[in-house]
Formats: sequence, structure tokens, C-alpha cells
Amino acid sequence: MDTQVTDNQEAQLIRGLRARDESAFREAVRNYTPGMMAVARFYLDHAAAEDVVQDCWVTVVTAIRDFEGRSGLKTWLHRIVANRCKNRLRTAHREVNTEFSDALEPELAKRFDARGHWQSPPRQRWSEAADALLENGALNDCLDKHLGHLPETQRSALMLYEAHQRRSDEVCNILGVSASNLRVLLHRARQKIFLMVETFQETGEC
Amino acid sequence: MLKCRDLVRVASDYLDGELDWRQRLSVWTHLAICGHCRTFLGNLRATTALMRGHSDNRAREALVRRIDERVAEALARAEDPP
Ligand SMILES: [Zn+2]
Repeated sequence: MDTQVTDNQEAQLIRGLRARDESAFREAVRNYTPGMMAVARFYLDHAAAEDVVQDCWVTVVTAIRDFEGRSGLKTWLHRIVANRCKNRLRTAHREVNTEFSDALEPELAKRFDARGHWQSPPRQRWSEAADALLENGALNDCLDKHLGHLPETQRSALMLYEAHQRRSDEVCNILGVSASNLRVLLHRARQKIFLMVETFQETGEC
Repeated sequence: MLKCRDLVRVASDYLDGELDWRQRLSVWTHLAICGHCRTFLGNLRATTALMRGHSDNRAREALVRRIDERVAEALARAEDPP
């Protein structure tokens, strides 16, 4: 009974989308964007996922007329998002360059003397304050900004491995990189975020 | 003997349990005598915890409004005669 109602509502919504009715689009955008973002975030960081989801909706304006209704609308939308994300990652791979050359982030490498000892060591311990860090809205905004500036593959590696807790072999598969390259990508990305948090903790600036 | 720079280089592998026992042993030996590296490693661990807890619910409202605008533009274009 319930699914019947939902099916009817979906059929009505699809008719509205095909007729290019703006209010139907507004409704669909509100219903389906959270799920589409979740799919995109499986592959990409937040900023890139938003880009992809926006572009997908623009595509839907014309593509909805080819939608045959054999799968549900949600499944169809999620497939479009997943395909776009994969394409985007494939393009990003072609830019792979010096990212794998050294595991040490240049900004951090500067902080050692010639013998490899700390010249400018970390000044504060924030390991115990991890909870407080998480609660800090300004820090999270700053994190968003810096994630947006990471090279795409570093960002994806970090998001997949850390935020989505994917296994290493899955991440390697999705990104098309070797296990040792993934280690370097992760470590480089973490060091950049580490440096960002350190600056934020010491100066309050992003 | 492991230098601070070497420890920083393998820090993620250490935290993720990707080092073999020999490498782990040299990390432990170094950490036992080096407070700077203990602080660094603790802070790097906090960084990974931060990434894990980083949520993305915020800004969803703004995203929906941007999509509305772009869809409206696309609709206007689609209405145009070919
Ligand atoms: Zn040290």
C-alpha cells in the first residue's frame, strides 16, 4: 500500500520533470540531492562532490526524457552521479605527477636540520583535545577550505580512506593507484592537514 | 638509528599499522627518547581523528539553492526553440 502511494508520487514527479516543470524540479532536487551527495562523497571530497551533483541536475533537465523508468528514479540518478565521479577521477589520474616522489611534505621537510633532527618542532600537544577539535566550527570551515586545495587524488585518497573508512585495496581500485602510491598520497594529504590544524591552533587563523 | 625526519616520513604507515616489526621497533626506540616526535605523532593521530569526524551536512541548504538556480537556467535554455 505504502509503496503504491510512493510509486504514484514518483510517477507524478517524473511526469512533471519530463514536462520541464520548475516546481517538479525543485521538489526532486530536495528529495534526491542528499542521496546523490552521499554517492558522490563515496568518490570525491565535499567541494568536488557538490560540483558533480550540480552538473548532474543540469544534465537531468534534458536526460529525463530518455529515462525509461525500468529502474527507479533514485537508482537512475545515483548511477548518473557515480559515472560522473568515476570520469572525474580518471581525468585527475592523468595529472599524476610529482605527487609520489617523496613521502615528506616540503613545508614539513624544512623544519629539520641537516642531521634530520627537529629544528622547529611541534610546539603544542593536541592529541588529547581531539574532541574539542571536532566541535570547533571555525576549524571545520578551515578544513573544508584546505581540503578544497588538495590535489584531487590526495583529496580522494584521504576522504575514501579516512572519512569513509574504505579498505586500502578498495581505495586503490577506485583511484587506480598502487598500494605504495596510496601510502604516499595519504601521508602527503595528512601532513598538509596537520600543518593547517597547527597554524589554526597557534594563530586562530585559517 | 632512526632520525626525526625518517620518523615523520613513515608516521602514517606507523599509525595505519603498515610497518613490519623491525621498522616498528625502530620507531618505538626513537619515541622512547624523543619528546618532539611523540608530540608530532600524537598530533598527526588527532588529525586523522579530525578527518574521520569531519561532517558534510553543513552548506546543504546553500547547495540546494544553487542547484535550483542552475536548473532554472537549464530549463530556460531547453525551452528555447532549436
Ligand atoms: Zn624525533
